[in-house]
Amino acid sequence: MTGHGLAATVWQRELLEFAQRRRALVIKLIFPLVVGLPLLFSRAPSVYAAMALTMLATMIGAVGSGAVLTRERLTGLNVRYRLLPRRPAALLCERLAVSAAIDLMQLSPILILLAIRHPSRWPYWPALLIGTAAVLAMTNVLGAWASTLTTSPGEVMLVVLLPVLPALFLSGVFTTPASPAWRAIANVLPFTYLHDALLGALFAAPRLSALMDLGGATVFVLVAGLCAMLLARHVLETD
Amino acid sequence: MTTLLSARRLTRSYQNGKGIHEVSVDVEPGELIAVMGPNGSGKSTLLRILGTAATPSSGEVSWFGRTDFRDPSVRRRLGVVLDQAAHFEDMTAYQNAWFFARQFGLPPRTAAERLEDSLRWAGLWEARHQLVREYSLGMRRKLSLVEAFVHRPQILLLDEPTLGLDYRAELALIERLQVLSLTGTGIVIATNDVHLAERLCHRVLLLHEGRVIKEGRVASLLTELAGVKELELRMLSPIELDGIRRLPEVEAVSAEADSVHVLLKRGANPAQVLAVLNGTADLVSAMRVRQPNLGDLFLKLTGVSLRLEAAAE
Repeated sequence: MTGHGLAATVWQRELLEFAQRRRALVIKLIFPLVVGLPLLFSRAPSVYAAMALTMLATMIGAVGSGAVLTRERLTGLNVRYRLLPRRPAALLCERLAVSAAIDLMQLSPILILLAIRHPSRWPYWPALLIGTAAVLAMTNVLGAWASTLTTSPGEVMLVVLLPVLPALFLSGVFTTPASPAWRAIANVLPFTYLHDALLGALFAAPRLSALMDLGGATVFVLVAGLCAMLLARHVLETD
Repeated sequence: MTTLLSARRLTRSYQNGKGIHEVSVDVEPGELIAVMGPNGSGKSTLLRILGTAATPSSGEVSWFGRTDFRDPSVRRRLGVVLDQAAHFEDMTAYQNAWFFARQFGLPPRTAAERLEDSLRWAGLWEARHQLVREYSLGMRRKLSLVEAFVHRPQILLLDEPTLGLDYRAELALIERLQVLSLTGTGIVIATNDVHLAERLCHRVLLLHEGRVIKEGRVASLLTELAGVKELELRMLSPIELDGIRRLPEVEAVSAEADSVHVLLKRGANPAQVLAVLNGTADLVSAMRVRQPNLGDLFLKLTGVSLRLEAAAE
């Protein structure tokens, strides 16, 4: 950020606006805690806590960017972005990366509290962090795609839920994958690795090792970047 | 002299039947071009395509000899104001303008100097730290103009630039555009304001239902109406126009809320129109005869009033 609250780049602008909207900032930071605190500091079974926290990260990632991009399309701001002297792929990647980073900032108190609550499960912390980042990155891309199909920010949630709910189920978030085929499908979905790392960090029984969770999540961070590049023209040039 | 922008046979159709068809236009350095037409004639569509905000279904545009509309080096040399004055509402005017100035490649010191100059010119300097959501339509339009001018683009594309501006701001804008034109900036304005077009622009494109129906220099277009006069009647209440339309001396007739505009052929006597009014003449509260303008040319060519459509907008 340059000087007194001036933004010269797209990521600076996103952060500046996020910081300036105080009421939204407080709500965004409190919301994950309201959901997460009872799960972490009650006798809630770990499998339910892992399920709820995976869904929380998914919703925060998908709805945020989708609603913002839909609103921008309705107000004409997407055209202002389109006219910037930037390549669409670079522009959308930067926007979604900063959006996912803000979402991660929102969720970081939960991750910190989880580490404090179960310090002995530290081998899962890197996978937890990258797994959260992967889910946020993938769902931000999904939200961006959903924004091209919706005519109001409120519709984004409905469009996003259509692919997300079956994907969460197939990832084994609601019930453990029972067959080899199902497990194979779960391995190519981003939610699997965050959910598995959460199970590990919460003393439940993870299906994969911490290293595999970390590796899978890292791949999905890269996949999200690739998807954003491929979708950029469609997202930024849809009126 | 290198052509700044060259558009050939541009077509873009929308599902509602609107759009543009086979429109071609060249913009030379220093040239001021007005794109005129009623609401829905395709002015904004044409400007969006020339400004790289939309793509044509067919046809080709080249900017500075390049045809890749996503090329950052093309967009860096364009200044575009579209019909929607969209800004980041939760940021101040200065934050908005700073962001765009820096995005278009201005170094911090230059951005600061030019923004102070431009915001003072627009009368927004005192309100620069106000959130844009608190701005009026006119202030937003001025801010859009500041953002379009600040990086000193080689081509300016302005959709209804005087919309929402007060008279003083309009005069300041005309002056600024004249200066920019003298320094080689190619300027395209979409407008319904015949006075703005006649006063400011070198060349005019008249659009009707997405097609160019007339194109040329303002002076030469107006010679087509040499000897023609316009009779404007202020009415107390609406009257039947068919009688006037049938007069052989009448070229075209259009009606607005409280006035009737009659385009009279060369040598016609306005008194003949008044004679047709018969018993309704007492409904005329005022009348004047004046030289015709580009709006009258449009009326003559299409039978549609530019003014009437502009009022509807």
